[in-house]
Amino acid sequence: MNPLLPSTRREFLRLGAKGVGLLAFSRFAPQFLVQSTLAAPRPEKDRRILVLVQLAGGNDGLNTVVPFDDPAYHSLRPNLALREKDVIRLDTNLGLHPSLAAFHQLMQEGRLGIVQNVGYPNPNRSHFRSTEIWETASASDQSLSTGWIGRYLDNACSGPDIAPFTQDQDPDAIHINAEVPQSFGGTLPHNTYGLTLGARAGRAGRDEVALLERLASRPSASLAAHASHEHESANHAFLRATLMDSLVAERNIQRIIDQNRPEATYPGGNFAQSLRNVCGLIAAGLSTRVYFVSLGGFDTHANQLNAHANLLRQLSEGLAAFQKDLTARGLDEQVLTMTFSEFGRRPNENESAGTDHGTAAPLFVMGKRIQGSLHGSAPSLQLERNADVAFSTDFRSVYATVLDRWLETPADEILGARHERLSFLG
Amino acid sequence: MSIPLLDPREAWRPLPPSAWNADLARHLLRRAGWAARPEDVARAVDQGLPATLARLFPTHPPTLARPVFVTRANERIAELQPLKRSAPSYEDRQILEREERDLERLSAAELAFQWLQNATDPARAPYEKWVFFLSNIYVVSLEKVRRAENIHRHFDVLRTHGAGLAPALAKAVSRSPAMIDYLDLNRSSRRAPNENFARELFELFILGEGNYTEDDVKEAARAFTGYRHNPREGFRLAAREQDRGEKTIFGRRGNFDGDQVIDLAFEQAAASTFLPREMARFYLTDAPPPGDYFAPLGEAWRASGHNLRELCLRFFGSLAFYHPAWRASHIKSPVHYYLGLVQDLGLDVIPLERSTLLPLRQMGQQLYYPPNVRGWVGGRLWINSSTLAARRQLAQTLCSPFDEQRLNADEKLDLLAARDAGRRRFTVDGDRIRAFTALGPQGIADRLCDFFLPGRVDEGYRQAIADYLSAARDAAAFEDRVRRATIAVLQSPEYQLS
Repeated sequence: MNPLLPSTRREFLRLGAKGVGLLAFSRFAPQFLVQSTLAAPRPEKDRRILVLVQLAGGNDGLNTVVPFDDPAYHSLRPNLALREKDVIRLDTNLGLHPSLAAFHQLMQEGRLGIVQNVGYPNPNRSHFRSTEIWETASASDQSLSTGWIGRYLDNACSGPDIAPFTQDQDPDAIHINAEVPQSFGGTLPHNTYGLTLGARAGRAGRDEVALLERLASRPSASLAAHASHEHESANHAFLRATLMDSLVAERNIQRIIDQNRPEATYPGGNFAQSLRNVCGLIAAGLSTRVYFVSLGGFDTHANQLNAHANLLRQLSEGLAAFQKDLTARGLDEQVLTMTFSEFGRRPNENESAGTDHGTAAPLFVMGKRIQGSLHGSAPSLQLERNADVAFSTDFRSVYATVLDRWLETPADEILGARHERLSFLG
Repeated sequence: MSIPLLDPREAWRPLPPSAWNADLARHLLRRAGWAARPEDVARAVDQGLPATLARLFPTHPPTLARPVFVTRANERIAELQPLKRSAPSYEDRQILEREERDLERLSAAELAFQWLQNATDPARAPYEKWVFFLSNIYVVSLEKVRRAENIHRHFDVLRTHGAGLAPALAKAVSRSPAMIDYLDLNRSSRRAPNENFARELFELFILGEGNYTEDDVKEAARAFTGYRHNPREGFRLAAREQDRGEKTIFGRRGNFDGDQVIDLAFEQAAASTFLPREMARFYLTDAPPPGDYFAPLGEAWRASGHNLRELCLRFFGSLAFYHPAWRASHIKSPVHYYLGLVQDLGLDVIPLERSTLLPLRQMGQQLYYPPNVRGWVGGRLWINSSTLAARRQLAQTLCSPFDEQRLNADEKLDLLAARDAGRRRFTVDGDRIRAFTALGPQGIADRLCDFFLPGRVDEGYRQAIADYLSAARDAAAFEDRVRRATIAVLQSPEYQLS
């Protein structure tokens, strides 16, 4: 460890440059930075962890959990419908896509649940807007600037009995994709970390890092004055805080991943490797509460069958390996995994052997504490021509259940309204 | 604390000539291009703002020829098709398919190197950045398009029409093979219109969300049926697949075709402020004011027939563009950071994937692979600990001696070819650092800050650098510290801003 680097951002804030105190520093520090030092999260031993898995592009729900017995399904999809003999039967009406054998196994072990037909009223079919709705947990006609995970972190960080300057330097949330998920945005700044596959920490010389630290830790007063438009000076402060965080976090995390020894065999591909790294970080005992992993390519407008089968295989085999790894390391009590996608797809296939943007779809929850296997009701396919399914479970009920019964925080406060709790967690 | 924005009626008036100075010229060159080299600043100050803008945004922008490699790769790919069909075994076919994939990947890399090298030329930088901006509106991704040749054509469309009328650009884009493949126009027919293109045309290209209805999308999709392309002819309208029936779009009824739908979209009020606001997001601030703020600019733009060059001249010549609220505050994109470094350090693009394209990907911007049809959103989304680590690594690499020992034979050949073409300054060499040392600690600190950083940094920042340099024990250590101090400045938060 480089003795010139403060071991935590909080320490950096306390020491400032040249060892000056926080008070001296805070003359320049934006208010929110000072706040965050006082609102450091409490380290917990038996912490519960949430792993979010985004199926980016809009997963085709009807070919994931398949109503193989419904004649309407086959007439809506003359080319794309999966046949009864190919699906993995769950009951007399429903079956899983043949690529989901690993999920079926997990269901039989009581570790995987399906919440059917999840959506929201007045669905939006724009990828971006609908992703935003899911990530901010807003209503369709409402625009929120914070994400549901960010608000959870805000809430978790605002307890009254928390001592300032804890030594906890771990990120509050880690995402394994290049962009920071919108879900992570809070009112307070949170120490979130992005891990890009293949990106290695720089091997800068020790003195050089020390100089960089000195440049980053002292605010450039006149630059700030020059750009004193409220939003923009925040950009500068944001860059400085992120740089300090990353100087501290990067050596820590890189070391953990280098030393990770999984106890399950993961399939190839970036998605499974991301999960492998997540398991390594959890096993290392980071106090990080939320991980975000993304699998893209679900926007199957054309030639869907093979592409979708391949994606679902990556999904189920990757997650099954992850769960096995967690179990082997005795971590499965601590981790809940949940998938989401911005929308399902149109019930009728298009002429390109694909499906267009739709509305509700099933999602998966995975973990040792999962109760029951099928939740909610399947969508009705008695539809007018080119119409969409109507959702039966609001996605915010899923969030409320996870916040309330898994993360044990006041869900209604975080979601801004009361939503029904579901039975997949007791 | 916050500087109030100008009144919108005031904001889009031209900057008075008397206000033009070196600070504003630096702001223009860093934002419209990538960096503000002292000689370019002096020229801009000398010429004045209107003449500078007329030079930076030419009426007839130069084209960029298709790289020879891409042409050869295409020929080979064409040869491979019958070979693949007649391959005697699965393994043989696999070998041919791998060759095809490799050719496509190398073609894409070749396109990227060509574009990057051209974009570093200060005379071309602003227009090429404009083309890059347009490619972040009219988004296509190589992931789906697959053929680098079609990406080249798409950029050629943006470059050719980017100084002309916006409706003509949109029409040309609707015929761009890359776009036809990317948004599934090639699968859209009279019997089964595919909505993908029509939706993004309204939402992301011309109007913005909330300015059209679901029915408008469905009806417009019918007008864009039958758009096809093939390698020989390029764009082709398949008459039998085309829906010529009556449609109702934006409350108007008629037997509209695709071009007419684009004209109808540009008639909507929202069309005049959508692109100007996207320009503000790309060039000025990640939180642009609402569309209304751009109404005066939009009206002038509409009056010009939505002429894009006129829009550029007005935008970059306005009081708003130079307003203090928007100076030294914009987070550079990875492409901006990279090309800024190349210009600031007087370098050439290293034509190796591992030295150039890989760092861009790790910083979050893989050229020709935007994350989705919205393109890169930018702003603070560029910055997290891993992308910052990648930026730091890049600054370090470009300021350190180039280690050619590590290269494989192919890479050495690529470098040789670049050197033959007169490009040989790949990283900052020892001579350039030594030329610097005579200035002494304080002089070097001033030079680094004044050349590289937007706005004026304070004494504390300069002093930190001077202190660091002064701590060197001998001449060799001093030289080493000059290099390391340069790297730290380029890695610091201030250099991430423009």
